[in-house]
Amino acid sequence: MRISSLQKWSIIIFASLLGFTLFILPVIASSIYSFQKPGGKGYSFTSYTWLLHQEGFFASMGTSLKLAVLAGILNISLMVPTMVYLNLKGQKFKSLVDFICILPLVIPVVSLAIGAQNAMPSFLQNSQYELVFFFVIIGLPFTYRTIDTSLQAISLKTLVEASRSLGASWIRTIIRVIVPAIRGGITGALFLTFALSIGEYTITSLLHWETFPTWTVVASQQNILGAIALSVFSFVGAIALLSIIALFSKKSARQVEVNE
Amino acid sequence: MSKKDRASSTLELRGLSRHFGPVKALDGLDLVVAPGELVALLGPSGCGKTTALRIVAGLEVATSGDLMVNGTRYNDVGANARDMGMVFQSYSLFPNLNVSENIEYGLRARKIDSATRAKRVAKMLELVDLENKAKSFPHQLSGGQQQRVALARALAIEPRVLLLDEPLSALDAQVRGQIREEIRRIQLELGITTLFVTHDQEEAMTIADRVGVMSQGKLEQIDIPDVLYNHPATNFVASFVGVMNKIPSHLIDGHVEVFGKRLKAIRSEQGVGKAYALIRPESIKTKTNSTNPNAKVLTRSFLGASSNIVCQLSDGTIVQSLMTSSASGDLHPGSSVELEVAISEVLTTHD
Repeated sequence: MRISSLQKWSIIIFASLLGFTLFILPVIASSIYSFQKPGGKGYSFTSYTWLLHQEGFFASMGTSLKLAVLAGILNISLMVPTMVYLNLKGQKFKSLVDFICILPLVIPVVSLAIGAQNAMPSFLQNSQYELVFFFVIIGLPFTYRTIDTSLQAISLKTLVEASRSLGASWIRTIIRVIVPAIRGGITGALFLTFALSIGEYTITSLLHWETFPTWTVVASQQNILGAIALSVFSFVGAIALLSIIALFSKKSARQVEVNE
Repeated sequence: MSKKDRASSTLELRGLSRHFGPVKALDGLDLVVAPGELVALLGPSGCGKTTALRIVAGLEVATSGDLMVNGTRYNDVGANARDMGMVFQSYSLFPNLNVSENIEYGLRARKIDSATRAKRVAKMLELVDLENKAKSFPHQLSGGQQQRVALARALAIEPRVLLLDEPLSALDAQVRGQIREEIRRIQLELGITTLFVTHDQEEAMTIADRVGVMSQGKLEQIDIPDVLYNHPATNFVASFVGVMNKIPSHLIDGHVEVFGKRLKAIRSEQGVGKAYALIRPESIKTKTNSTNPNAKVLTRSFLGASSNIVCQLSDGTIVQSLMTSSASGDLHPGSSVELEVAISEVLTTHD
């Protein structure tokens, strides 16, 4: 069936209207609302300044950023050598590791949180840094795929053998040859773990730590306009993060194109 | 260590074997490559030539046997400590590094100071004639250029031995010949001990001092190209190197009769019976206007100075004859000709 240009345009207009009503309109509305003066007419930054002056805003955000960065770095340093090994020599273990990396998606978060915490050494159980390990675990399903795909896109074996025969150690080979060759995949994995960690609520809350997401819940119960300002703030933050990921992956995609 | 010491390395393989379960990829290979010599290992795929090279490079472990370089056992030396330059079949340049940085890579791994590095890189670029591509990235280079950079990169570390793993097979025919000449020129210039692996007999014969023909994990024969071609030690070598006609005949008293001529059978197995005479195309003469024709011309391929005539005997056997083009002008598909043998001794086979 041929779609006439009139039909085409009506579909586009309908879809745009739907998107506008369900998605953009609420965002605009809450943005406007968040700038309203409490109880009165006119607009101001009152809710946002309230937000900034709330106890724990910067502290919890700092904690979240710190933990997320650590989780990203730990995840990459763990997964890159592992995936290189699996792709070069450990093909038979690959499906097993793949399965293990999927587990965090299917195990209920409660059992994961309590169970894994019991397995940790006590000095870690008493530190908020235990969250880093949880964030690494929940990031595994995503980093496994991302890094695996990018390793399969390069001629890993030949590059490694060339590097080794030129006198390079394994560490030099990974840092100088493999990491630059799969930079796109690593950036993607890094941002995925980072984004997951920044937004993680359930485990943190179950284990009674305070990060930005748990702080948000507490703070939003005190001031309705402040809560809306907070959600607008988080929304803009998330969009910014996603744009950065998109930018980087586009860049690496272009690189691959040039390489071929 | 000075360049001279490096270049004059002796490479010795003593009974090297590599078994994958019941499969013997390499089955007791003995080989000595003299200082400055270029030895080519030639064979069909799966004959073990690449396995041998990878064991020498340290990329694979020998099941048994010893690898010696200048009399020192190398079996347990790691791939990154062997000082062996290797050029791979597939493009192996580091994509994120430019040409200079690729060549420099092995020198950096050796913690060589930057002044020496720069000097060495400049020398290597000159050697492979790519001075104007120093800042280019691999993806901006043609296949031939990439393999030249790979060669420069392997040579920059002043290796004890140069290992070439079918470095030309990914290139198109014209470039292949050109890079082949270049590899040989550089190898002679540096006097570096080289092991070259290929499945292309023309490549092996033109570039190597000695050619080793391998089959099923074993070395069948190793010698200078002339001897391999004219005096093949085994029937496998005879049929793998160059074109060989296999003409049915009978073996009687150590002689076979081909086209009415009695030929002495070299190294024939004892006994009487059905046998095939192995004869090179250039040893078969085609006579036209014969009163006694024994074959029909199927095709005539013009190769320049010579022409390849494909004939069919009355029993259906296809025979190739190589003759000068000027003498074969009146041969056309369908003409009846008389084939003659221009040799008096011949290799035979029973199968």
